[in-house]
Formats: sequence, structure tokens, C-alpha cells
Amino acid sequence: MGSSVQKAIELIFSADPELLNILSTTARVSLTSSILALLLGVPLGILYGAGRFPGRKTLLILNRTLMGMPPVVCGLLFYMLFSGVGPFRHLKLLFTVKLMILAQVVLITPIVVGTMETFVADTAPELRETAKGLGFGRGKRFRLLVNECVYPIFSAYLLAFARAIAEVGAVAMVGGAIAWKTNVMTTAIMMYTNRGSFTLGIALGLILLTLSLIVNVALSLMQGRLSR
Amino acid sequence: MKKSITLLLALVMIFSLAACGQQAAAPAPAEEPAPAEEPVSEGDALIVDTCILKEADDAMINNYSLLAVNPEAPFTDADGKAVADVAINTVGAAALINWLLSEEGQSLAAGYGFDDYGEYLFYLKDGRPVSSAEIPAATEETKLIRLSTTTSVNDSGLLGYLLPKFEETYGYEVDVYSAGTGKSIANAKMGNADLILVHSKKQEEAFIADGFSYTIEGMESERLNWMYNYFVLCGPSADPAGVKDAADVKAAFRAIADGKYAFISRGDGSGTHTKELSLWPEELGITAEAESFEDYTDWYVSANAGMGACLVMAEEMGAYILTDKATFLTFVANDGKIA
Repeated sequence: MGSSVQKAIELIFSADPELLNILSTTARVSLTSSILALLLGVPLGILYGAGRFPGRKTLLILNRTLMGMPPVVCGLLFYMLFSGVGPFRHLKLLFTVKLMILAQVVLITPIVVGTMETFVADTAPELRETAKGLGFGRGKRFRLLVNECVYPIFSAYLLAFARAIAEVGAVAMVGGAIAWKTNVMTTAIMMYTNRGSFTLGIALGLILLTLSLIVNVALSLMQGRLSR
Repeated sequence: MKKSITLLLALVMIFSLAACGQQAAAPAPAEEPAPAEEPVSEGDALIVDTCILKEADDAMINNYSLLAVNPEAPFTDADGKAVADVAINTVGAAALINWLLSEEGQSLAAGYGFDDYGEYLFYLKDGRPVSSAEIPAATEETKLIRLSTTTSVNDSGLLGYLLPKFEETYGYEVDVYSAGTGKSIANAKMGNADLILVHSKKQEEAFIADGFSYTIEGMESERLNWMYNYFVLCGPSADPAGVKDAADVKAAFRAIADGKYAFISRGDGSGTHTKELSLWPEELGITAEAESFEDYTDWYVSANAGMGACLVMAEEMGAYILTDKATFLTFVANDGKIA
């Protein structure tokens, strides 16, 4: 382990252009996909949690099933759809960062929805009572709910980000781990492991965890402040 | 609130720094070799016990071929329905093939490896196809070339050494998809590659027979076999099976099987796996199917992993293994160390 830590530090300070490229691709993919998933998932989660409409139960079960979708299956699906022989071949998106983001959005959104739904379903009835008592209208009630949701929104985002940055199955399938283009931290770790360069793989893993730590610390601090 | 904004700004800065790194990196043409691939120095070799026991046998020749993907190939979608309009960059594929087979490309490939490993990793074949065709500069439509290849070519660093020179001169951009030969060919059959560079004659011939390749202008055959090196049989330096003294490589494999000495098989449909399967005594009946080696699991280990990972396993278990020489030399240069 010691040699890996040393290697990780060496790597960071060497500013190796390939490593920087991998880092920036990782940041681009995981940040974009987690933010998109948040934008899609939060309204849906609130709707599922607070709304009363027919088919809600079915949608919930469907969503919970999708939460457990293996990344590699999601990747395979997108690989087939966007392949040279797939139905969306004309978009020429296979092995691009865009498709990696898309695949991750599909993978992560259910997690955001599920997290939000759990919280909202718990608080919504009480909130409705309060709002009714205060004589709030529909719009004001919704805003009150969103206001209450700041804390779980951060939690949902952190979950989404963690899944995005740690995930390897989908990005490896649809990205192809092409050097200088679609290679991210997790696929690079896989590549080095396959080459037997375990030390380098662990070094990259340590950098990945550090990145994740920085994001988590920053967002957790914000979460504490904003939701007070 | 102010503090959280400061934090957010800090976060944005971290990622923009990373993004700056990318911009700085994008124009850098020469891919630097991975830090792991340091030159072999005499002292390092002692750390790895696994060593080359059998090499340069005619049965161990590892032929690399280029095949252009036929745009008129009988592509089918997942349901087996024919797909007619698969986009294949034939101009780009022909340009890359003509360059690799040109005087310049060939001499570069033949000279590769000496500086890093103290020996040449690839040799040019006698009677190889040679191209003197003029290579057109890239246009907007032909710029992106998708090359599907095997891990051994990519991991040896050969492509990282050759391709930037081609890309710089002619303005193309080559996306290298690297996987075992089996997966690499499957990727091309799905219409995701313009050309393939692989090392399994059997699978290449099937690819041609199925109509997935075509003969590019000025060449005599679909399968352009221009480069080779050797597979090497490696194992523990003590060599309990006496592989070193075996008459030839087939006899060496027989000795391993007879003595039931541990052997690591790639087991992943790669070119190396295909080669290994052809070297066992026929009466054992070892094939790619799991049932075929059901009775040999006490010594035959089907790892289903990349070459490097298999080498680490062989080193750990003191097992025998068939590997391409390039990956083995990289492995030794990396001290075969596990963190």
C-alpha cells in the first residue's frame, strides 16, 4: 500500500498529461450526469412522494427495480442501441462522452427519485396539514415542500455523484475506454489491473477517492448550512 | 451563506483546474508511455520469479494482421435483421492501412521497443504486403478512424508510438478500442470499427468468410499479415515440469499436462487463448468450452482476465503461462509487484 500512496502523490505532482485528461473526463462525465439526474429526479421524486394519482404504486415499484439495474446491463443496452448496426446509429454517439453521460443519467436518476420519494412521502402529509391550517394555496404548498427538501436533495445528489464517479460497467461499455477521449478513472483502473500494474491501479483509486472526499466535504458543509 | 458560496467557488476551481489540464493535454501529440513501463534494468529481473522458458519455436509465431471492414458486409442488428446503411470510414481505414504498410510505418514498427526493453518487440514478415499508395489528407468526413484491436498491441505501447506520427502528418484522429481478439472482432461486426488489427488466423479467416472484410485497392488479400512476434511459454524459474528441456513447445505443454503442473489460461477468447488451445495434446480435448476442461480443474486455471492480470496470477501461484513477449517484458519491467 505504501508504494501506492507514494505513486499516487508522484502521479499528481508529475501532472502527467494523460492523467489530467482522465481526471477531467471523469469530472465532466460524473458531474454532468449527476446534475442532470438531480434535475430530472427531484421533481419526479416529489411527485411520487407527495402526489396522489392512479398508477403511482406501479411507477414506484418500477423505479425501485431500476435502482438495482446493473451498470453493465445499462451499458450493454446503450451499446446495442447506438452501435453501428443499432437503431440510433445515425447519431454516431457510441464511444463518446455524451453517450457515457446519457447512460449514467439513466442509471442514476432512479436513485435520486427513490431517495426523494422516501423523504417526501414521510413529510408530505404533515406538511399538508400545516399548509392547510395556514391557508396556503397549491403553489405555496409546493414551495414549502421544496424548502423542506434542501437537506435530502443534497443527500440525493451525493448518492448520485458517488454512483456516477464509482461506476465502471456502463462507461466501459459505451465509452470503450479510448485513450484521450473516453477513458475515465474507473476504466483506467480496470485497464492497469488487466495489464498487471496493480500499484498504478491503486494509485489511481486513491486519487479518485480523494476527489470524492473533496466533493463530499464541500457539499456536506453546504448541506449543513443551507438546510438550517 | 457566504461561506457556502466560497466553498462552491473552491469546488468549481478544482474542476476547472482539471479541465485546464485537459486543454493543455489535448494538443500534446505523443502519448507518453505509462509510468509502469519503465526500462528493464538488470537488477529488477530478480524480483519476478516467472521467466521465459520456451521461445522462438515455429509453433509459437504470433502473426498480426490488418483487415479493413467491408461497408457492404452483411451487418445484422441484435434481432438478426439486415442493416444496410452502416457507416464505415473506408477512406480513413485505407489511409491508415497504407501508412502502416508504407516504408515509414514498417520501419517504425520494426524499430519499436529497443529503447525501452533492450529488444525489438515486433518483426516484419518476409513477403509482407508493402504499400506505396499516396495517403490522402483527412477531410471532415474521413477524419475519425475507428480501430478495433487486441490488448497486446495496445498494451505494448506500439500504437501509442506509431499513431501520433500518422495523425500529425495527415490530420486523422484514430480511436483505439482495445479488447481481446474475440471481443474486438465482435465490436467490428456490430459496425463499430473501420478496421481491425488482431492476431488469430482462425478468427480472421472466419471474419473474411462471413464477408466482413474486403481487399483494399492495391492489395492482394483481405488479411494483411505484415508483422509477427513470438508467444513465449513462461513459468517458475525452478521449472518443475522440465519445460526447458522439452524437444518443442508441444512436448512442453504435454509435460505440463502429464505432471498436472498449474497452468493459467486466459480463457477469454483472445488471440493468446486461441493459440494456447492449439498447443495442448489433442487427446486432452481442451477447447474454449468450460466442460472440456472440467476434469483438469486441479491444475488448469481458466482465469478469464487480461494478460497482465494472468501474469500476476502465474507469478503468485508459481504456474506456467503462455503470453505474448511484449506484455511479459512490460510485466517484468513493472517488477510484477502487487501493491
